[in-house]
Amino acid sequence: MMKSFLRATVAASLVTAGAAGAWAGEIKVGSVAGVTGPIAELVVPIVAGRNLAVKHVNEQGGLLDGDTMKMALVDSQCDPKAGVDAGNKVVNVEQVVAIVGASCSGATNGMVQSVTIPAGVVALSDSATAPSISELKDNDLVFRVAPSDAYQGAALAKLAIDAGFKTLAVTYSNDDYNAGIAEVFAKTYQELGGTLAGNQMHEPNKASYRSELATLARGGAEALAIFAYYGGSGITIIRNSLENDLFGKFMAADGMFDASVLEQIGADTLRGNIFITQSASDYGDSSYKAFADAFTAAGYDPVSPYAAHGYDAAFLIALAIEKAGAADRGKISAALRAVAGPPGTVIRPGEWAKAKAVLAGGGDVNYEGASGNVDFDSNGDVSGIYSVNTVGDDGKWSTKLIE
Amino acid sequence: MDQAYGIFLYIISLLTMGGIYAILALGLNIQFGFTGLFNAGIAGFFVVGAYVSAILTTAPSARHLGGYELPVVVGLVAAMVVSGAIGWIVGRVCIRLRADYLAIATIGIAEILRLILKNETWATNGARGVSMVPKPFETLPEPWNQLGLMALVLSIVAVLYFLLERARTAPWGRVMSAIRENEPAARAAGKNVEAFRIQAFVTGCAVMGLAGGLTAHYLKFIDPNAAEPVTATFLVFVMLIIGGSGNNKGAILGAMLIWTVWSATELVTSRILPDDWAIRSAYMRVFLIGLVLQIVLQRFPGGILPERRLRVAKDKKRYN
Repeated sequence: MMKSFLRATVAASLVTAGAAGAWAGEIKVGSVAGVTGPIAELVVPIVAGRNLAVKHVNEQGGLLDGDTMKMALVDSQCDPKAGVDAGNKVVNVEQVVAIVGASCSGATNGMVQSVTIPAGVVALSDSATAPSISELKDNDLVFRVAPSDAYQGAALAKLAIDAGFKTLAVTYSNDDYNAGIAEVFAKTYQELGGTLAGNQMHEPNKASYRSELATLARGGAEALAIFAYYGGSGITIIRNSLENDLFGKFMAADGMFDASVLEQIGADTLRGNIFITQSASDYGDSSYKAFADAFTAAGYDPVSPYAAHGYDAAFLIALAIEKAGAADRGKISAALRAVAGPPGTVIRPGEWAKAKAVLAGGGDVNYEGASGNVDFDSNGDVSGIYSVNTVGDDGKWSTKLIE
Repeated sequence: MDQAYGIFLYIISLLTMGGIYAILALGLNIQFGFTGLFNAGIAGFFVVGAYVSAILTTAPSARHLGGYELPVVVGLVAAMVVSGAIGWIVGRVCIRLRADYLAIATIGIAEILRLILKNETWATNGARGVSMVPKPFETLPEPWNQLGLMALVLSIVAVLYFLLERARTAPWGRVMSAIRENEPAARAAGKNVEAFRIQAFVTGCAVMGLAGGLTAHYLKFIDPNAAEPVTATFLVFVMLIIGGSGNNKGAILGAMLIWTVWSATELVTSRILPDDWAIRSAYMRVFLIGLVLQIVLQRFPGGILPERRLRVAKDKKRYN
């Protein structure tokens, strides 16, 4: 009697233990971000976006057989040395299935080349925008949901041609972001038939740009294309141009998009005279709304730069693991391509249970993210959505998507 | 993949980067430890070496100067030569400055070097950096590729240690500590103080350039952010001072120890803390390094392995 009772207990506990092993698992995904360093403030909402996606996954059934998705957060400091160290930690010690990150282009460049490509781990960045990342020989292991700067430069060049500007002058701030967009802009604009009357780099944070602008104005350009951060040099450049009657019309990329431009220069002066492109989400889109509502409820601002991209990156990795059917590094790349684009049932942010049901039934899913449709091209890049901002009648920015 | 194997690979990466920091700390030891030259511009000489080696060894690219595809060894030697040459020019101008003035001058020089590299876009691709730098042994299968690079770095550390230990115990090294301890006395003994100080400065800068070159190959990428002073200057001083300024073994020990603390603490914090806290705890690491420095300096004023005086007792006995 005692013996059989014991035997039964042991058998029962063995069964329980076996079952526990099956459902209490944890699947780790690397979350590499520039937590400290020059973009520290930007990173907080991005990481919150990633974590919101993980929360949605875990609340709605988890990964595979109910495994918990766990993000292993490490700091890449916006520095390639730290990026490589961070990559080594998540790939080797944390044994992650895939990585979301890194944040800055430099840290991403180092991490993927030195660590993740040799190790065969997929890295999906949510905010690295340098065009050079597209050119890496990456065995299809490097993806981005943040559009390459190349696309925004091209979008703005097309906008300039469509607006009828035949001659433009270009000035850009010497940092990795603005210099990159300016380079692509200048090239595309000339290819589309535009003429550059001048193209000059400037150092940000100077008190005045009058001499640089006077030189540029001599070329007889119809408008000035500014690639700068509004606080660093952009506002000063517009003010100097207007004061000295050097330029009256302006085009700019998203570094210039801020309410303070209108406050400091005056909405009436700029109405009809300024066009700013911005890497945007389609704010009218139901995918964006689903994300924005949940993110606002979590206490964050959904228009924070790249927060929507952070959500999409983490959600896509979860979908890829589910599609692959196993926490297997080697299967993530192909699965990621399958879940990000057509064909398949459209899945929007927050719809994890629905996606899980479709995949369990052997169907395909097509994730339409908060930041855009996230369909990867052959380089693992997305083309992104851009909006053009002009001054509205109410004296505020009026935003319209570019088709 | 097996957890133990993963940790093994992580330890290789720790020893590789720790070894590179050990080279930097040995370079600083020649300047600060032996001779008392307060070089606060380590990042500048480091990043120049990194760019020189990267540009000489990479395949052609439209983004930056290069396409020479020279062997990595040539790149590393050139990194030493160029960093040493810049050190010589700087030394000619600044070497007469006393400790803190030299520190101010070298901080400025590091910043100038970083800005030149950031602005000469035709040569360096500016703020976007040089990518696809070849990495020694990268064609070997894992883990041999990583072991190979680690062995290369650690053998450079060993060779440097041997050479610097010889230099330290030789008359050259004694003159250096004489200059550090009492410059007028060294001058009175007929030593050309300026020449010796420049020799120490140039040798140290060349060694820092070598560490920079190795970093570019290890990361396969280099950009001006790698010259960030916290991890490229401040951390090296902490390593040397904790390990024991003036002691080559101490420099190596300090580099390995502090790099391990710097890198591995995050594994603990990211595991036990929720993400909101993990974001804040990243800043705790900088605090932690400061705390370790305080404790070590309280307990061991000369560092963990303090400088050892050269034995001259035997000679004394003879003269008595």
